[in-house]
Amino acid sequence: MNEHLNILDFILLREANVRYVVLGTMLLSVASSVIGCFALLRKRALVVDSISHSVLPGICLGFILSGTKDPLFLIVGAVITGWLSVYFIDIITRYSKIKADTAIGLNLSLFFAIGVLLLTVIQNSGNPNQAGLSDYLFGKAAAIVLSDLYVFGSLAVIIILAVVVFFKQFTLVSFDLHFAKTIGLPIKFYEFLLSILTVIAVAIGIQTVGVVLMAAMLITPAATAKYWTNDLRKMVVIAAVIGALSGVVGVFISYLFANMPTGPWIVLIFSMVAVFSIVFAPEKGIFAKYFRQKKNKKKMLEDNILKAFYKLGEHDGDFFKKRSAEELIMARKFKRSLLLKGLRSLRKLNLLTKVNDSFVLSRDGMAAGARITKIHRLWEIYLTKYLRVADDHVHDDAETIEHIITPDLEKRLEDLLQYPQEDPHNKQIPY
Amino acid sequence: MIIHVENPIVEVHDLTVSYNSKPVLWNVDFTLPVGQMIGIIGPNGAGKSTLLKSLMDLVPTSSGFIKLFNDDLDKVRHKISYVPQRESVDWDFPASVMDVALMGRYKPKNIFGRFTKEDKEIAADCLKRVNMLDYANRQISQLSGGQQQRAFLARALAQQADLYLMDEPFAGVDAATEKSIVDLFLSMKKEGKTILVVHHDLQSAIDYFNWVLLINTRLVASGPVKEVFTTELLQETYGGQLTLLSKIGDLIKEKQFPMREQ
Ligand SMILES: Nc1ncnc2c1ncn2[C@@H]1O[C@H](COP(=O)(O)OP(=O)(O)OP(=O)(O)O)[C@@H](O)[C@H]1O
Ligand SMILES: [Mg+2]
Repeated sequence: MNEHLNILDFILLREANVRYVVLGTMLLSVASSVIGCFALLRKRALVVDSISHSVLPGICLGFILSGTKDPLFLIVGAVITGWLSVYFIDIITRYSKIKADTAIGLNLSLFFAIGVLLLTVIQNSGNPNQAGLSDYLFGKAAAIVLSDLYVFGSLAVIIILAVVVFFKQFTLVSFDLHFAKTIGLPIKFYEFLLSILTVIAVAIGIQTVGVVLMAAMLITPAATAKYWTNDLRKMVVIAAVIGALSGVVGVFISYLFANMPTGPWIVLIFSMVAVFSIVFAPEKGIFAKYFRQKKNKKKMLEDNILKAFYKLGEHDGDFFKKRSAEELIMARKFKRSLLLKGLRSLRKLNLLTKVNDSFVLSRDGMAAGARITKIHRLWEIYLTKYLRVADDHVHDDAETIEHIITPDLEKRLEDLLQYPQEDPHNKQIPY
Repeated sequence: MIIHVENPIVEVHDLTVSYNSKPVLWNVDFTLPVGQMIGIIGPNGAGKSTLLKSLMDLVPTSSGFIKLFNDDLDKVRHKISYVPQRESVDWDFPASVMDVALMGRYKPKNIFGRFTKEDKEIAADCLKRVNMLDYANRQISQLSGGQQQRAFLARALAQQADLYLMDEPFAGVDAATEKSIVDLFLSMKKEGKTILVVHHDLQSAIDYFNWVLLINTRLVASGPVKEVFTTELLQETYGGQLTLLSKIGDLIKEKQFPMREQ
């Protein structure tokens, strides 16, 4: 079936089966991303990994006991063993000296080992129904049929609805458990609810993504979404969107290649989105940080050039005299290439003009130079007067602060100091 | 020296609390007066935080009973506000200062509904009282230690409780912030609130509190600050006499002894 499917068929959702797969993957991805946000915030990422490995023995037991691959039996088995692993981790950390990470590691490998053993037993049993059971390891979205969609889809909808209904409670329990308890919330119930929903989210992903990689479906979208916002509501929505889109893209790609497992593709797409976010997210991303720094550097350079012009003007009593690059370098040790770059951008801002090989301040440029000089000197006064810093120590500090001060702060500084005439080094303050 | 009061707001009787069967509070027995600033003082590991937590039923108790407002905790929760140690939560949580203050408006009854306009006004007002209104939209991950503490205080104020249990509200805040928090407590006291504060500095404790509990695993003293702050009692709290008690505690844990005969 896969082999005959072409791209257009997929995109147009022409085949009923493709529709089931896309819808199922979307629901699953949204549900797991949404509940994953709370797992992430409650620092349960590793527990989720343990759950995802622990559902395998449950699936196998479900199959052995029922003799069919009916999703309902498999899910029940998966939820039971998944839940058991959460319970064991809790018990082990509470009643022994073993730390959480160790307990998680122990659980994960033990349950997974049992799962693989059971799977091998089933495969050697000669039961004709067992064909395809091993797909639950890495997922095979293409195998989803309508009856699967009913089971997985309705569970996914339950998870999403539960998060919507209990949003405030989940938030409170995730942020400050003790506080939640003191106001009388039944925190045991909500913790249980969060855990069981997490287990269910893992269990319904077995067919599409497979047990091994299911943890990524919960944690990666949440971690990615956290890069884009500082608001939990938005974070949950963003995680859901990221989850749904990358889920479908992942399924699509795996569809193009026959016999390709879906799980790894989906996780690969997720990870690409995550890397993209780490690099490009506004504010928190690496790029944004780089640009902020670059912008700051540019502003500092421009300010310093204007200040050098002002200083020279002050010295000669003529602010609008032509200055060569050499003169400016004498006034302040600029690196030549940087200076030329700064002069270029100041010309673009119409703060100075170029005459032959020299530069002249414009009116605005002169005002800007005066302002920056004024702030520098006011700040020096503030430091000596209010913070009692020795006056030979204030210059370097003022060098950085002068670029940061906003017009609002500038006004407050002037009012506070009451427009003094001279700075600690007896230089005139221009107003 | 343990002085009892009439009509106490907090009554603790024969309380023992253990972690992993090691007792950290032994046979604690006291009553506290209404409308006072009360200090809980003792060395690190004395069980101060544990005492506050056991008042709020956050840790299981091995024996004894607690009455608040002469009632069971569950009946009077809405009249009590607990402020945990600042480090007890992860501040890298996607929430704003306003979100935290609004948490004080949650009641188990109204938690499904939206916040009313009144809730929001109260929260804003509480932020103003702790001087944090300018930071209302700031992300809590970007707060300094003192600002985090004040965000917690705003949440507590928003609860409009009568009894406040504060675990080290002065830890890691600068002198100016400490002063403003103390002023806040004094104004709350004027409104008739009772404030129970875990505190470390003996010097300032004399100025801040009317009533003091000295504890070090057991209750050393409970009474008006002037009567309790004696060299002898303080030495007893901070001195070495209690090593025996803690040795026995270790022994009980080692031998897996039950704390009380069942
Ligand atoms: N969750 C826990 N599990 C095991 N032991 C604990 C736990 N919490 C506290 N303890 C122990 O109980 C004792 C009392 O702790 P508690 O936190 O009440 O002390 P404290 O007086 O608040 O100290 P500090 O001044 O350092 O805050 C300490 O010996 C501590 O090691
Ligand atoms: Mg403490």
